Amino acid sequence: MRSTDTAEIRRESRSWSARSIGSRWQHRFFYALIRLAGRRAAYVMVVFVSMYYVLFRPSVRARSRPYLSRRFPGRNALLRLRDSFRITVEIGKVLVDRAALGILGPGQLTVRHGRREDLLERIREGRGLILVTAHAGCWQFAMESLRVLETPVSLLLHREEGDVDLHVFEHRGNDAAFRIIDPAGPLGGALEMLQVLKHGEVLCIMGDRAMGGERSAVEVEFLGGRVRVPVTPYQLASATGAPVVVIFPYKSGPGNYSLQVEKVLRVPEGLGRDPEAYRPHAEAFIRALEGFVEERPYQFFNFFDMWNQEPMR
Amino acid sequence: MTTVEKLKKILVEDLNLQELSPGDIDENAPLFGEGLGLDSLDAVELIVIIQKRFGIEIQNLDEGKAAFQSVHTLASYIEGRLSGG
Repeated sequence: MRSTDTAEIRRESRSWSARSIGSRWQHRFFYALIRLAGRRAAYVMVVFVSMYYVLFRPSVRARSRPYLSRRFPGRNALLRLRDSFRITVEIGKVLVDRAALGILGPGQLTVRHGRREDLLERIREGRGLILVTAHAGCWQFAMESLRVLETPVSLLLHREEGDVDLHVFEHRGNDAAFRIIDPAGPLGGALEMLQVLKHGEVLCIMGDRAMGGERSAVEVEFLGGRVRVPVTPYQLASATGAPVVVIFPYKSGPGNYSLQVEKVLRVPEGLGRDPEAYRPHAEAFIRALEGFVEERPYQFFNFFDMWNQEPMR
Repeated sequence: MTTVEKLKKILVEDLNLQELSPGDIDENAPLFGEGLGLDSLDAVELIVIIQKRFGIEIQNLDEGKAAFQSVHTLASYIEGRLSGG
């Protein structure tokens, strides 16, 4: 991987943030609350904390504004405030669930796999499986729940330095259900990703966040504006013959999650290195994501101004 | 044709580097970054091409990282693997 690509990933990673807005002590408070009083008590606290953040921390409202203003155009100030509150509560609950899963164990939550057989069938093809998902629901929980596939799962993820919000497995102090491949690593993680697929395993990639140089993404229309979408999953599929499955995890009720299989994409082999060759597949993913946010507007947690990235040259 | 020459030809033809001819490629220049300017998309393609053209599967990450420094290091790696090294 180009050193400039690696620098680009690190720079982009600083320009948006997956890091929690809470401080270390706030996280510890919630972890203690979950241990002592359980998940539901933490949900109640989330409502009050969200109210505080939305009313008194404009930066919190600003983070969700790019998405919410496009998803709900023409809202007045009061409704915008309500939308911001709702999405903050929803992500707060998801973070509580994530911590509860790690602290109290898997019995706390259930996950329903729509079309699990579909996924197993794709794995049985023996060419690996590429899952393309988005910052929706609790993706970490979705990764954990993929244990049911009885196939090793790897996730392409650039972990931010100094993030105080713990991953599920970090709470438990045991191994992750999934292996992390860092796109800022040697050769952009290409070697590791290809090995995962070569071994017939599952590789999960976020399809809604482009990182790396301009050739790693194409611009497509999403909620009325242009966004950069990565082509890496589709290029890997073309190079290996692996099927691509678009999935979105979402919170379907208190303590319940669903893993929605949206569509299976077949990418023709040998499309090569021109990112434009993968535009139809990136478009297909974004159309699926548009359908998801139409149905579940408060479960899309991409707190990043996707519409205001540097234009591609 | 030497492995270095073969590799240069493969880089130009298979990666479709239209702006270059094999003779333009400095075998000691970095493949990624300031040298040849390849990126992560090219890395995927190149790994697959090496496997197809030379029957070599790179499994070790450290080995791969060292091999993909330049055309010269990649050629040495391929020759080493083909001779059973």
